Order: sequence, then structure tokens, then C-alpha cells
Amino acid sequence: MTERFLEGVRVVDLSMGWAGPLCGRHLADNGAEVIKVESCSHFDWWRGWEATQTFIDDHGYEKAASFNTVNRNKLAITLDLEHPTGKTLLERLVATCDVVLENYSGGVLPKLGLDWSRLSKVKPGLIMMSMPAFGATGPWRSYRAYGSTVEHASGLPHLNGESDWPPTMQHVAYGDAVAGLNGAAALMIALRHKHRTGEGQFLDLSQAECLFPLAAHGILEQSATGTAPPRLGNRSRAAVPRGVYPCEGDDEWVTVDTQTQLQWTRLQSLLPELQAFGNLDDRAANVDAIDNVMAAWTITRTPHDVMTTLQAAGIPAAVLSASTRLTSDPHLVARRFFAMLERPYVGTIPHPAAPYRDGTRPLAIDRPSPTLGQDNVRVLHDILGLDDDEIRALEAQGIIGERPLPMEKTQ
Amino acid sequence: MQALDGIRVLDIGGTVATGYLGKLFADHGATVIDVEPVEGFETRRLQPYVPDAEPGEQSAMHRWLSTNKKSTTLPVDRLIDAADVLVTSQPAQELEAMGITTSALARRAPNLVWSSVTWFGLDGPYSRFAGSDAVVHSLAGMVRGIGRPDRPPMLPTGYQAQVIGGLTAFIGTMAQVLAREFGNADGLIRLDTSILEANLCFTEVGAVAGYGQHFVGKRLGVNRFPPTYPLGVFPCKDGWIGITVLTPAQWHAFCALLDLDALALVPQYQTALGRLEAAYEIEPAFAPRLLQWSAIELFHRAQAARIPLALVPTMAELLDVDQFSSRGAFANVTHDDDASLTAPVVPFRLYGSAGLANGHSPRLGAHDGEFA
Repeated sequence: MTERFLEGVRVVDLSMGWAGPLCGRHLADNGAEVIKVESCSHFDWWRGWEATQTFIDDHGYEKAASFNTVNRNKLAITLDLEHPTGKTLLERLVATCDVVLENYSGGVLPKLGLDWSRLSKVKPGLIMMSMPAFGATGPWRSYRAYGSTVEHASGLPHLNGESDWPPTMQHVAYGDAVAGLNGAAALMIALRHKHRTGEGQFLDLSQAECLFPLAAHGILEQSATGTAPPRLGNRSRAAVPRGVYPCEGDDEWVTVDTQTQLQWTRLQSLLPELQAFGNLDDRAANVDAIDNVMAAWTITRTPHDVMTTLQAAGIPAAVLSASTRLTSDPHLVARRFFAMLERPYVGTIPHPAAPYRDGTRPLAIDRPSPTLGQDNVRVLHDILGLDDDEIRALEAQGIIGERPLPMEKTQ
Repeated sequence: MQALDGIRVLDIGGTVATGYLGKLFADHGATVIDVEPVEGFETRRLQPYVPDAEPGEQSAMHRWLSTNKKSTTLPVDRLIDAADVLVTSQPAQELEAMGITTSALARRAPNLVWSSVTWFGLDGPYSRFAGSDAVVHSLAGMVRGIGRPDRPPMLPTGYQAQVIGGLTAFIGTMAQVLAREFGNADGLIRLDTSILEANLCFTEVGAVAGYGQHFVGKRLGVNRFPPTYPLGVFPCKDGWIGITVLTPAQWHAFCALLDLDALALVPQYQTALGRLEAAYEIEPAFAPRLLQWSAIELFHRAQAARIPLALVPTMAELLDVDQFSSRGAFANVTHDDDASLTAPVVPFRLYGSAGLANGHSPRLGAHDGEFA
């Protein structure tokens, strides 16, 4: 059964890609009614950013794991927002909602006449969040970015990697998920303000700024000391040994992160060769020798053996997992982290749980991601009161639909 | 009036994750009380340090996490009755020794949101494992693809996994606070946030896409990740430029920007994966041309051509980037010792109920008198 925590909150989700839809997913998982709005000419690009007619004919836009992972528990409609009728219907829908969420490039919604200045008149008390890459103000406000671009701009790559490497990224699109989480947090705060005061507001979320808390250790050291932290690769000034060590098998690795003196003495008990080294300063001075001892020990063991042996002694250690191994990870399996749901066009696929749960029960996932325009009738009839003839007329005009328009009509 | 006025949060967890969760509450007006042991939270001993500060007060990280909060070393038992939210990081046995159990709390604070933020969650085979940011990143599948193929994979630095855990726990915790205020839920809830599961947001798409497959991708090199190329951080005449070229239109515009017309129409280069497979021949063609430009000039020219390039500022440069300074992205963290730090503010702007930008970090036990 759907969670009811945010029951009564309706969200019109104009966002596309990863960041905005992940934000909406958190609201939907908690029981808000999230209505995703696409169009048959401009479907969510997270369904496929290199769409061809063959891709469309093969229903490729319904098969992307990226799209299907971040849009569960939502309703979906299509509306041609460039058509006056489509725009009017969106405004009527907004008039019934509490929140509008969007992450279009700057200028798109103003051009459509659907920006904050308009929608806040359509629905007094509206909460509207915009998620541009660099925020809604400032000289870069209209600049474009992906999750990678905002990681670049945050300065975070200067904190990762070896000193002789270029500034080092840690993900192909790190900023997307981070912005999505921040967006959900921001909307929770705004919903509380509205509940107490009845007031809506405009929320301006800069995806680049969302990464600054993740770089806080570097920003604070720069501020406190006038210099940035040194780039030490896998090593750390606060933990020795800390590293990724080779294990038995092809490209198999284990992480060991010895953070306290107690953990160190336990590690010495397991590896007598380490008895020659003492406190953190001594270990830092002999880090090459210590890492050699560690690697000689791990290379004859599997990552799982090393992890369980060290963890049994209370020492932080972990296998280097892979995304394709997560659905079979014994811990995640035991916690029922992935729910198996059938989704049209792709069959039964795993759906990751919300990362917070009530006791031992993951929050419910009632519905896989919607197909394009799947809820047109439900939303237009049940919420906006259109009758069957009116809905058929919208379909005939191409204002709504359940299939993308042929490519030549969208270019 | 601030958005979260009237909410009272007790943090006895004392980690970066619980500290960041509490910071989001405190910077929006909630009363957040760090209920610390007499030696102080472990965050008070985390690097980086403020030079010459006294032990227990020297952590710049703790100062940032604790802005606009109160600190007490009094027993949590004295404070629990008036709490709306209790934040913990400890395992059940440790909490039971402190008298914190579901039944005890239900008697004292029947509508309490008990928000547990632990490395791996409250049950499951790893629930008693020792955690760290590096351990979580490793188990989440985030590390294997970073770095050179001939070297060990590269761990991210800092406390990133915990910040993500705290941010995620804030979402779940606020949903429970709202549920009680909306009348959608009542009674005590023990919310279980796993920092590992919070960080799976970065890799879950790969888990879904690769379900039923046993393929494990190889590291492609520093800053090389599927599914596209050019991607990465490259030197310019005077700094670093971040490049992401994904769509065919961006590829053509990128080639035009760098006068690489001969590359633009190569059939294999029309798709992102096709270019990634040919990175070894594309990079020598464009990388030298970047050295002819200053990073700032290339950045603005690329953006004018709708190509998502970015400056990659150093920590020293970051605080002076006009885009960020004009938006007040950084503010002051003060402390009784008069040292002031520049630190990130909560990264979203609520124009109707703005959060606090600047903040003061309390000394250990600074508010004992208020709660005695």
C-alpha cells in the first residue's frame, strides 16, 4: 500500500533527466501524488538522449533503466505545452497542486509563459522549485550543465586523485543525484512553511552549489589554513593504513580504512609483520612499507575473506563491489532493498527502495515507472473533469498521446 | 519566522551524517541540541583543524556542522520529553544502555520521530560492521570505476558518504514530521536510514540496467566513464576546464569551437559510445588546442555555443568565483575563539523562508546552564 505520509500533497513534475525526477521520487515514495508531465514531441530525455526513429519504433523510450529507476510511484501525462490548449490544461492542473518542480534550461518556461511569475498567479500559495545548474541568479544563470559539469564547477575534483593526476572526477554525473536529494530536502522545508503560514514560495536550487557540502573538507581547510588539503590518492593523514589493496582474482580489490589506534592494534594482531610500526605518526612515516605488508596479505585472499576477517575484528574493510553486483549483495538482499516489479516493455526489474524505512519494512513501491502518457485519462478526467469526447479531441489534435511523434515532426 | 521554527531536535549521534541532518534543521530555524558526551562528539576531532585552537574545539568540520545549534553535556534523559525528533547513530545495545528503547521513548514522547542514521541500517548481515566513508563508497560500487586501469581504484576523499547519508535522512525525517503535522501519521516511529543505501543513489541505475548480467566494467582511465566522450578535466593555458560532450549537437559545436571540422562528421563519432571507444584518437586531436585558451575564455565561449563546459576552480579560486559569491554560496562560521571560517551555506534558496547563512558554533557544553 502506498505510504500516506505526504497524502494530500500534489506535485506537478515538469522535470526531466536524473536530478528533478529523483527529487520527485522521494516525494512520491512518501505518499505525495506526483504527476509527471512530458509531451509526445519532447519526452523526458532520460528515456534516451540519442533517440532515432528506429529507437522509437522499438519502444526504446520505455526501456531505459535510467528513466525507469527514478520515476516509480508517479503518474504520467503528456501535454503539448506549445499548443494554447496544452498550456491552458497545465495551468488548470497547476491550480489544483501544491508544488511545481522543474529543471528546464533557463529561458524555456518564460518562453512558454509558464514561469513563476505566471504560475504563482494561477495558484496562490504555490511552491515552485527551479533547479538550474548554477541557480536562477548570477552571471552563469543561463549556462548549461550535466551532473559532470557541476562536479567540475564545484572544485571537488581538486580534492580527489593522486597529486600528479588531473583533477579527478568520481562519477560520470555526480551532481545529478546530489541535486535531486537537495531538491527533496528543500521542498520538505517549503511544505512545512506552507502548512504553518499558507504561503507558497519560489525555490532556487543551484546544482553546482549542492556539491559544496561534499567538498566541505577542502573548503574549510582552505579557509582555516590558507592552503588546500594535499592530494594523497587513497592515503589519508588521519588513517594509516588506508587504501585499496589487490585480492585474488582478476581486478578484485578490498578497501581497508584503519581509523583508530584500537583498530590498528587489532590489525597488528592479525598481521604480525605490522608489529614493527606504532602510532599514527610512525605509520605515516612508513606508509609504503605498511602498504606492502597489507598488499602481500590481501593478494592471496578473496575480497570477501579479507572483509569478513577484518570486520570480525572491528576494522573497517569492504569489498569493492560493482553496480551489477548490488542486486545480489547479501546485505541488500536480506534488507529487501530491491523490490521486483513488472514494468511494460521491460518485464520484471529491480526497484531500489527508499534509503529510509519504518522499522524493518522498506517503504512501499506500488507502481513501476509510468509509460508515456499512461495516466492521461485518469488525470484529465478525474482531476480536471474533462469528458471522454474532450479527451478524444485532445488526442486527435496531438496535444496528448501515448507514443512519441515521428521524428520528422519534432525536428 | 523561519520554516522549521518550533521543531526541537536532539542529536546524540555525533557523526558527520547526524550532524549534517541536524544542520539542515538548525539552519532553517529548528532548535537543535547536540547532546554530547563529556569528551564531546567524535566530529570535534575530525580534520581539518583550525590552527592553534584548543583540543575539542579545533575541528573546522565540527564548527561547520554545528552552526546555529546548542551544545550540552547533560544526560539526554533530561531533554527527551520535549523533543520532536531524536537523532541517533549508535547500535541498539549501546542505546539500551542509555535507556533509549522504543517502549521507553513511547511513554515519554509518544509522537517522537526517532531517526536512526547508521552506516548499514539496523538489521542485515553488515549491520554490525565497522563503517567509514571509504567503506560505504566501496560497497556501493562507486570506487571500482575511478582511476587508471593499471593502478588500484581511487577512493573519494572527505566525508561525502556521510553528508549524503545525513541529507537523505533529513528527507525521510522531515516526511515523518510533516506526516504528524498533517494528521497523516501519529505515534512513535523509528526511522532507519542506511548511509550505504543512501549512497546507492549513485549506482542504482547500473544495478537495474545490469540486472541478471555478470559483466563488471573495467576502469577506463582517470576521468573516463561510460557512456560518453569527450569527458573530463583538461589543462588550459592558465587553469583547468571541465568538458562534457554528450549529444550529437554538442559534438558538432565542440568541433566547431576548436576548429576540428574534420572530426565532426566521422561516422563513428556521431554517438557518445562511439567516441568513447575512439577516445585514444580523439584526445590527441583536441587536447593541445585547449592549451591555446584561458580556461575562463573557453568556458564562456563554449557556453555561448550551448556546450556544457565548466571552469574547474581550485579551493583557493572557488571562494572568489563571481557566480558563487554573487549568490552568497559561502558564509561565515564563527566561534567563541574569534576565528571565523568561510564555509558553504545550505545550497538552496527559499525566497519566502530563507535559511540562515552565517552561524555560530557552540563550545562543548555551552548551553548546559539552559537545560540544567
